[in-house]
Formats: sequence, structure tokens, C-alpha cells
Amino acid sequence: MYIALFLLPALIVYLLFQIVPLILAFYFSLVEWNGISGAALKFVGLKNYIDAFHNADFLLSIKNMVKMVFFSVLFHTPIALLTAVAINTKCKGYRAFKALFFVPTVFPLTSVGLMWYFVFMPTGSLNALLKNIGLADRVVPWLVDPATAMNTIVFVNIWAGIGYYMVILLAGLTTISDELYEAASIDGATAVHKFFEITVPMLKSTISMCILMDIIGSVKVFDLVFAMTGGGPNGLTNLPTTLMYNEAFKYSHYGLGSAIGIIILIACLAGTLGSNFIMSRKHD
Amino acid sequence: MKKTESKSRLGKVIMYFYLLVMTVVFAMPMVFTLLSSVKTKLEIFSDPFALPKVPQFVNYIVAWKEANMSRYFINSIVQAGATVIILAIMASMAAYVLSRFDFKGNKFLLLFFTVGMMVPMHTVLVPVAYIIGALNLKNNILALILIYVSFSLPFSILVMTNFMKGVNRSLEEAAVIDGATYFQVYRLVILPLCIPALSTISIFNFLSAWNNILFPLLFINDKKLKPISLGLLNFNGERGSDYGPLMAAIVITVALPLILYLLFQEKVEGGLAAGAVKE
Repeated sequence: MYIALFLLPALIVYLLFQIVPLILAFYFSLVEWNGISGAALKFVGLKNYIDAFHNADFLLSIKNMVKMVFFSVLFHTPIALLTAVAINTKCKGYRAFKALFFVPTVFPLTSVGLMWYFVFMPTGSLNALLKNIGLADRVVPWLVDPATAMNTIVFVNIWAGIGYYMVILLAGLTTISDELYEAASIDGATAVHKFFEITVPMLKSTISMCILMDIIGSVKVFDLVFAMTGGGPNGLTNLPTTLMYNEAFKYSHYGLGSAIGIIILIACLAGTLGSNFIMSRKHD
Repeated sequence: MKKTESKSRLGKVIMYFYLLVMTVVFAMPMVFTLLSSVKTKLEIFSDPFALPKVPQFVNYIVAWKEANMSRYFINSIVQAGATVIILAIMASMAAYVLSRFDFKGNKFLLLFFTVGMMVPMHTVLVPVAYIIGALNLKNNILALILIYVSFSLPFSILVMTNFMKGVNRSLEEAAVIDGATYFQVYRLVILPLCIPALSTISIFNFLSAWNNILFPLLFINDKKLKPISLGLLNFNGERGSDYGPLMAAIVITVALPLILYLLFQEKVEGGLAAGAVKE
């Protein structure tokens, strides 16, 4: 009796807004629906998925997603690890450095996106700065030029995430005993040696956790793109998340939107399982 | 000996150089935004990193009053605040039962609750919109809050349950022997003991709600109800060239998370790192 009373509030909210929608999500991805509640739902099988994979915008968004995941993973954890090691020396001002690098993590990503939007827009501060220091020929409309738009967003995503992984790795670093480093010093190991022979191996599980979270996190990026380009120019910077949002809620393609939503879920699960698999194989 | 000394000095130089480069890259957009928030439009882009001739604090007044940031700010306080309180109650109640009572399905329920952590918001966006439409919950703040709650429940329950499993039971047992009901035990013994874990999840949940944009975007279109991050985007959409006031609005949007972080640095970092378990 008590058990039910204590569990019920959480269970009801969880069922209503997580589990039921999750089940419905699979269903909606198999039907056509114009978005008006009460309107008839027409079962179309896998058509929405087939449509998605024949849709150039979707394929581009997948390409962008792969780019986002690849470069985020490539830069986040290594930079975060180097920074964490530097801060862990407790050098002068280390608290200020840590706070500065971490603080973007607590900001709403929409405001982070806007901050950088004003830096990167055609008349933005970066271009003004380039002009002022005599590099006018390097001026690029960063978020408008198809050649730079996506890369710019990937850069901002990397910028916004480093502090998060830094803090996780810092927590990991404190668990490594000083004795290990001292012993290595006596044996004449250099700082670089100690980094690769002690720090990295000891942090292996933390590092793989960071990479795993990074994969999932990068697949789910939405706010940054939404605030900086809205997916433009011409859908070139769409990720599956923004494309899904636009398809479903701008153009009322709810079936297609739902199918992309499921594909996002599968991408996250695949990222999880894939990196688990690779990490466990490396351990052997 | 001398050789290693000069070597370690070189290492220090490299390290500080690295930290300096990082500092420039991280401070640049923030300094630019802060400076621009007190500059005129002309000053902002003619010399982006120069100080203003006369600080234009009026930008903040324009953002706060004319652009309605005050309204959005209060809306977000209410929405995020209510989310935090409801989550603290629901998660601690559920965690109390899950960590203390051995009943059939206990383990399954904990696992069931954690399934939600794997679900990206975008996956359930269309169904949530459907439910909102079917139950006529457009512009309903309570629905928004409950959606925030549902998305933060898995993480909150997991953190609370793990914490409670490590809490000594002797106090509760004494209370039960003294004839306390389970509700009394929960309210008078469990809750006070769980304050450390409650504050961890609360900071995390507050920031998640404060920073969320997807769900309000989906079904809050009444300007009087919009939260701050959505209000900021609105402002940008409507008056995108009022750069000074816009920058001021950005500063207003990040101010509260920033203050929270500076006040509770360890807690915030710990809470977000605990969120690491989340994914």
C-alpha cells in the first residue's frame, strides 16, 4: 500500500510523458498523419523510413551528424584531458581557468549559439577584428558560406563542451595516487612519459565514458544549430534533430519527422553499443 | 639536477602558453558579449573589443522592459523552480521505496525508470505534441513542468536511490519502533538526511529546465508564458539588429546560471558530473 503511494506520482508522470510517447513514437513513424488531433491516421508501414533515406536533405543531415560526432569526439576529450592535467597541477590561477572553461556548460545553449552568432555573422566581431588587423582578405561570412557554415557550428559545439569533459576527467585525475608519479620520476620518466604511461591508462574508463557521452551528446545537438542558422543556408547545416523539427512542425510531415526521431534514437543506441564494443575489445 | 630544473621550467612555460590560448578562445565571445551589451550599435562592430565611450546601460533597460526579458525571466524562475520542487518530492519518494522496501518488481522498476535516460527528446517530440493536442494542453505551464519532470525523473531517481542505499538505517528503525508511520519516517528522517543528494539533483534539474528550449518551442506560443531562452530567441527574431539590447538580453539569460555556478561551484560541477551517469 505504502509502496504504491510513494511510487505512483513519479510513475504516472513518467508513463504519461516518457513511456507512452516512446511507444507512440514507433507507431507514428509507421503512419501518415496531418497533425490535427482527431484526424485519421493512415498506416503506411516503412514508407516514412524509405522516404527519409531517399530524401537529400535527410542524407545531408546524416552527413552533418557524422561530421559533428567525429570532430567533437576528436577534439573534446583530448583537449579536455590536456586542460584537466594542466589544471590538476594546481598552478597559479587554476581555479579561475577551470571556472572560465567550465562556465559555458551551465549557459543555455541558445545563448551560447547567439553569442557566437554575433561573432561569426558577416558583419560580426570576428570579421571586424580581421579587418582591423589588416586581414581583410580573410573575411568570410562564416555562417552563410556553405564551405564554412557547418564547420563553424561544429567548432562552437566543441567550445561549449570542453569544460564538461574537463570536470569529469579532473574528478578521475584525483583518484590517481601521487606515489605512481613519484615512482616514475625517480625512474627518470619525463612529463610526456608520465602522461602516456600513467595518466591515460589510469583514466581509461573515464575517457571511454567521455567519448560515449560525447557521441550521444553530439547526435542530439539541436539548440546551437537552431539559434545560429536554423538549419540554413538552404538546409546545409541541418542535423537530424533540426530537420526532424522542421519537417514535423513547420511542414506538418509528422510521419517523416517521427521516423527521423526513431533514427536518432537508433543512432544513440548504436553509438552506445558500438563504443562499448570497441572499448571492451581494447581492454583484452 | 640543473637540467631537470630547466626542463620543468620549459614545461611550465608550455603549460601556461596553452592555458593562455585556451583563455583567449574561451573569454573572447563572453567578453565581446559583455562589452557589446553596454555599447551603441555603431561602436559594437567598428571596434569589437574597444571600451564604449559612454557605457550604454540603457541597453539593459530596453532589454528588461521593452523586450519583455523581465517577464521571461520570471516565467523561467517559476517554471524551473516548480520543476525542481516537484522532482525533489517525486524522486525522493520513489527512491525511498526503491532503496528500502524489498518487494516484487523492485529491481525491475529501477531499471524501468532508468530506460528513460536513453530516450532523446526528439524521438518523442511528435507523440508529446500529439498528447498535448489531444488533452488540450497548449500553453499549459503545468504540462510543460510535468514534461520537464518526466525527463529529469530517471536521473533524479537513480541518484537519490544510490544515495539512500548508502544512508545508515538505524535512525529510521528507531523511528519505526517509536511508532512513526512511513510517511513520518520519510518526511522527518529520510528527507533531512538526503539534503546533499537533493541539492545535487536540484541544481542539475534547475539548469536543465532553465536551459530547455525544445518543449516550450513546441507548445508555448503565448508570449506571456514563454521561458527566457525562448524569449531571447524571439527578441532576436523580432529585433535582430538591436545589437546592444540583444547582447544585454544574452547577459540577462546567462546571469542566473552563472551566479548559481559561482555560488555553488563544487555542487554544480558535481551535479553535472553526476549527470554523466545520466547518458
